[in-house]
Amino acid sequence: MKVALLRFGLLAAVLAVWELAGRAANPLLAVPPSAVLPALRDLLLLRSYPDLPASLWLTVREITAAYALAVAAGLATGLALGMYRLAGRTWGPMLAALYAVPAVVWYPSLMLFFGLDVASKIAFGFLLGFFPITLAVLAGVRQVNPHLVTVARAYGAGTLAVIRRVMLPSMLFTLVGGLRTGLALCVIGVIVGEILGAKAGMGALINHAYGLLRTADYVALVLVTLALVVGSDVLASLLERRARAWTE
Amino acid sequence: MDRVTGRVRAHQLVTVLLTVAAWEIAARRGWVDPLFVPAPSATAGALVRIAGPALAALADTLGKTALAYVLSVSLGVVAGLAVGSVRLLRDVLSPYVIALYGIPKILVLPWIVLLLGYGTSPAVLYGAIHGFFPIMVLVMGAVRDVDRTLVTVAQSFGATPLQIYWKVLLPAIVPSVLAGMRLGIVFCLLGVLVVEMFAGVRGMGHVLGSFANGFQAPELFAATALVSAASIAIVLALDSLNERLSRWRA
Repeated sequence: MKVALLRFGLLAAVLAVWELAGRAANPLLAVPPSAVLPALRDLLLLRSYPDLPASLWLTVREITAAYALAVAAGLATGLALGMYRLAGRTWGPMLAALYAVPAVVWYPSLMLFFGLDVASKIAFGFLLGFFPITLAVLAGVRQVNPHLVTVARAYGAGTLAVIRRVMLPSMLFTLVGGLRTGLALCVIGVIVGEILGAKAGMGALINHAYGLLRTADYVALVLVTLALVVGSDVLASLLERRARAWTE
Repeated sequence: MDRVTGRVRAHQLVTVLLTVAAWEIAARRGWVDPLFVPAPSATAGALVRIAGPALAALADTLGKTALAYVLSVSLGVVAGLAVGSVRLLRDVLSPYVIALYGIPKILVLPWIVLLLGYGTSPAVLYGAIHGFFPIMVLVMGAVRDVDRTLVTVAQSFGATPLQIYWKVLLPAIVPSVLAGMRLGIVFCLLGVLVVEMFAGVRGMGHVLGSFANGFQAPELFAATALVSAASIAIVLALDSLNERLSRWRA
């Protein structure tokens, strides 16, 4: 109770300080919360940016495409590297080394290759999501009891049946964690890609508002984008909980 | 080096060589458009051509990263220690810290650039923000998980609060601090590069961005390889330092 009160008090204090500082400062640079609310209303009523629904929908589609590709490629790569030991020991560390490179260095090349349209955002989201998913699958495969695989094989199960019936259930715990991290990174990748250069999508709207110094609209757009980020994570955490309940 | 390790190393070498060879052939035969995917030989040539200015830009980027890194490690460790060790602070602040850690920092980047302008300070600030949260979250968790008995024993032997921080908590969280430092450097470098791409006039991010905008693919690939090599080298150096320190602790 006391903790909840203090949390709320802290939030209120931050907002109050922001309000006071925002009113005193240059209105082009600082936006007090009281100015954000009307901007958010105008945005949601489609007065300031009529193409908000289209942009939001485009960003969601980019994230979905990037995530679908990352999951498919991550599962395939992780399983292949996990099931063939020499391959895993050879290419696993190489993947880990590439993971140590800040991913944004690849973005200019992707932009050159895929252009300013959706493809470069999907590619960058894919790149960010691919690594944690692959590494989680790799870690998960190592947790599978090898005797279970041997027994399944002895009873005549094919590779696909072994993966589906034996390996996936016993690595699910690690896998869903990786899938959740992967989704968060896909979302970040697409948004970063859009802000660094896009013709459409939420990032393009944010850049537009920022470029014209429409700071209140910019903050409102950021809040809408944050809602998208939080929403995707809530969805992922619900799925994670269900998967965990199913394994127990 | 045992036999398996030798074989793994050989396979890794073969992989790299085969990739480079296949790529070179694909580019020479025109299977890929050299406007977008230049051959390795062209990239190597470009690397020689741009070496001088690219190395200067890399030094600029790494300088900003070092500044951001010092800020994020010192502030992250102090904040993690403070919030992790005081129960009330931890209960009140941790949801906010986790939320701030999770949200994409890129959303506040335009505002930072608006406030601080183009140049060094937004890059350092943004890089430091990027590195700060993972370090703080790791340290916070580590302090929370320190064995309470150690603290109780120290207290009953009359240790002052300062001594408890310095002699009990700090040594206990060293592995987490090192893990945080390992994670933080990549985040700081990432942050600095993003700012340089978004609103840079100098540095490697700006160089990469302008090569991409100018369709100078060989130069772009060479510069990308240079940054990647630098960051892999930094991470490997931190890893080996980490290993040496943990051997010393044990």
